[in-house]
Amino acid sequence: MATDRRAEATWRGSLMEGEGTIERVGSGAFGPLGVSWPARAESSGGKTSPEELIAAAHATCFAMALSNGLAQAGHAPEQLDVSATVTFQPGTGITRSALTVSGQVSGMEEAAFREAAEGAKENCPVSQALRGNVELSLDARLTS
Amino acid sequence: MPRVQRRVDVAWEGNLARGSGELSAQTGAFHGLPFSLASRVAQAEGKTSPEELLAAAHAGCWTMSLAGELTGAGTPPERLTVAATTTLDEVEGAGHRIVASDIHARARVPGIDRAEFERAVEAADAGCPFSALIRASATVSVDAELEEAGV
Repeated sequence: MATDRRAEATWRGSLMEGEGTIERVGSGAFGPLGVSWPARAESSGGKTSPEELIAAAHATCFAMALSNGLAQAGHAPEQLDVSATVTFQPGTGITRSALTVSGQVSGMEEAAFREAAEGAKENCPVSQALRGNVELSLDARLTS
Repeated sequence: MPRVQRRVDVAWEGNLARGSGELSAQTGAFHGLPFSLASRVAQAEGKTSPEELLAAAHAGCWTMSLAGELTGAGTPPERLTVAATTTLDEVEGAGHRIVASDIHARARVPGIDRAEFERAVEAADAGCPFSALIRASATVSVDAELEEAGV
């Protein structure tokens, strides 16, 4: 069954001097969040940006895919700490998403954990949407 | 221009079906947002999801791209309103995939005519980095309307 998720943004004025807002999302989980071109392309000043939201989408998607892969291998994780760092090159586009994960998974070998993490990186829906255009990397390790 | 990096951290506990996670942005723009599988594929119940975050990214990226095109054409917008809807679906043989991201835009732009506006919309979609990358695997549709002056 298809699932739709919706977000609304507004903008006032020119690109360089104007300002925008991620007004609301369907779930109500966040918003309004301010955005601007200087905050996107230079220092954030505490503002979000499309690249930060892509990093958030990738990190959450990868964490869910990996928890599923680990559970299917008989090792549901106690905890996964995931980060995604997305690189934006103004004028070129969104070039890279670097994932890191450290996992607490009882009774699992490091090699099997890395293999599961690699599978999640390849197959999670956000990775599938980014691949081809965005270089994906992964650094996976077990902490216990 | 120098490259820009944005980082988000996620902590997840437990298996997919019953576990849950929280995400926080390094910029501080959002912190401790909850997410789970149930709220991703069924009722959101106040929780965000990868697809909602992509919709927010697309809406934000697309507004900036259109603002840039309109500014470059000498007609900066008074106000743009953009909704993005991202669809996750099960694709036979491929599992869950993001299959579509649809843009609906309304614009109030003093001094522009319809043809110029349509050119700017086309260029905005072609130049939006998010539209470009998601088009590799999903469909992107754009529906843009120019509000009449004084409305």
